[in-house]
Amino acid sequence: MRKVLNKVILFALVFGIIITIFPKANAEELNNDSTENEVLNDAIQNLKFYSSFNYQTLTQDKLNKLTSDFYLPVEYFGVTISYIVDSEYLSVSEETEIILLRQGTSTIEKEVLKVTVTNLPNIIKGEQEFLIQATLTYLDDSITYNYQGFITPVIPDDFFGGAIYTLVRYAKMFLEGAGLTLLISLVGTVLGFILALFLATAKIIAPTPQDKILSKSLKIFFNKLSSIYITVFRGTPMIVQASFFWYGFGLFGNALLCGLFVVSLNTAAYIAEIIRGSVNAIDKGQTEGSLALGLSYSQTFIFVIFPQAIKNSMPAIGNEFVINIKDTAVLSVIGIFELFNQTKKITSLHYRQLEAYAIVALIYLILTYSITSILKVIEKRMGMKPLELTSSN
Amino acid sequence: MNILKINNLHKSYGLEEVLKGINLEVSKGEIISIIGSSGSGKSTLLRCINYLEIPTSGEILFHDENFHQTNKLIQSLRTKVTMVFQSFNLFDNLNVLENLILAPQRVLKINKKDLIQKAYEILDSVGMKDFANKLPKHLSGGQKQRVAIARALMMNPEIILFDEPTSALDPEMVGEVLDVMKSLAKTGITMLIVTHEMSFAKELSDRVIFMNEGVVYEENTPDIIFNNPQLPRTKEFLKRFNRNY
Ligand SMILES: Nc1ncnc2c1ncn2[C@@H]1O[C@H](COP(=O)(O)OP(=O)(O)OP(=O)(O)O)[C@@H](O)[C@H]1O
Ligand SMILES: [Mg+2]
Repeated sequence: MRKVLNKVILFALVFGIIITIFPKANAEELNNDSTENEVLNDAIQNLKFYSSFNYQTLTQDKLNKLTSDFYLPVEYFGVTISYIVDSEYLSVSEETEIILLRQGTSTIEKEVLKVTVTNLPNIIKGEQEFLIQATLTYLDDSITYNYQGFITPVIPDDFFGGAIYTLVRYAKMFLEGAGLTLLISLVGTVLGFILALFLATAKIIAPTPQDKILSKSLKIFFNKLSSIYITVFRGTPMIVQASFFWYGFGLFGNALLCGLFVVSLNTAAYIAEIIRGSVNAIDKGQTEGSLALGLSYSQTFIFVIFPQAIKNSMPAIGNEFVINIKDTAVLSVIGIFELFNQTKKITSLHYRQLEAYAIVALIYLILTYSITSILKVIEKRMGMKPLELTSSN
Repeated sequence: MNILKINNLHKSYGLEEVLKGINLEVSKGEIISIIGSSGSGKSTLLRCINYLEIPTSGEILFHDENFHQTNKLIQSLRTKVTMVFQSFNLFDNLNVLENLILAPQRVLKINKKDLIQKAYEILDSVGMKDFANKLPKHLSGGQKQRVAIARALMMNPEIILFDEPTSALDPEMVGEVLDVMKSLAKTGITMLIVTHEMSFAKELSDRVIFMNEGVVYEENTPDIIFNNPQLPRTKEFLKRFNRNY
């Protein structure tokens, strides 16, 4: 069961990344007839439909998000128009009716056909395309012209309906956000790990009595540098670090790169301390056993101590990855559309905060839970001592 | 000619002086057992010889030469004077074969193929050939120590320092390690052995050194030390020792 869940999540992530890279192709162009007749051309260009809500005009592109009834004018400055509407969601009245349109201070009458939205597509189906084929006739000349529109599902009022609507309607945005969050967390953790190797090494290497002045001072210098780095990055919030580098310097001229940079730097400080702790926890006998065979300090470090320390650190480093998934939410402050910021954007599109944030909480939970489970399996296979998930900031 | 000569060796930790002027001469091929009560400085002496501890003063001459000046010299000394520890100190991240090969490959720069062949020969001689691909954590204490001895032998050392090689072992495993050491003694290698295995020391040693409070208090043939010690502290130690074991 868990395996299946993991696979589904993996698929969703990969899918999310793919649709991020390949945005949906544009709807195909309608091939309409053309005519030399200026009156007809003018009619095609300027013909307006009217929405049932205060008889606002529906320009052609406003047909794109249709949710309620509307009206089709049957006459436009001497041009008569008839319609064929092809859609299972719409029905056109047989009889024309007269509506009053406000124009400035006065009102004018319009003879129209009413189009009723008989039912709305459900959210799973999503937007449904429909075509209105208008036949415009002026004197002996006539032309058919196709107008394209989309009927959109509307958001249900209740929580579950709203949540499902939000999830399906904005699935792509959620996936993009989750993909970006995972990408930043993963790359940040990997880069942070590499940087941490240097930081930890600088902090661990101690001068020996046999060292020459130069190498002794270099060791002390890098040791102090590493200490300061770790103190600063662990002692300040990542939201401040991100703002500092982005709003302060506009680093890399690209918020995403800047965000990756900040996450890597921040993670490095934490992982460096993890590695240092692991190195210190390695039995002193390992070092002595190595030195006693004539291996140098650095050889001892590279071949004996570090491999063991890194292996022992892996569960804690994996945990840093999980923490990063949550903590990268602060990158919304520099305008990166990771998962949290995508959710904020979604709420600004449909104003259903409760549903949106409930969903995003669930997505975060699924991400952290499944990755923790995957890491545990890996750790078990590699014979590491698993680490209990500790709470974080 | 002496292979090893120690002159007036002192070692202090802070204010506590642990070695108070050790003088010792070791000739090639000699088997020397070092006995003495806990805290008398036996380990410290051994660890000073290969500079795991830096002596406070005094002189350690290997083939009449001093090696303490640089890290490089100390490393080269350690390839000639290797050590076997009480707690084995096998590399936990490497299997038995890799444990044997690491140092000669990296320090002596011998090619790996030759080393593998040599490793199998040495493992065979300590009865561990079938364990070449095992990790240390899958070995018993006695097996670990035999591998540790094999690892030390890979360097072709002239001296091996043993610091209580059987003290961490379950009683039934002591024998297998001592047997390896006995057959090693016959090869003519020089051995300095800190041990509490008195009958082993008696049987194997050319010379026994009794250490007391940081000095070599009495040294003589095993026969005299164990059957007819000359000095009071030695007598007292052996009497106490025999009562306890
Ligand atoms: N690194 C150290 N720092 C401070 N004191 C030490 C250190 N190593 C050893 N000592 C002290 O030096 C003294 C001698 O220690 P050493 O280990 O040489 O004794 P030993 O004869 O090997 O004893 P044992 O039979 O218990 O192994 C002891 O009092 C010990 O506490
Ligand atoms: Mg000791």
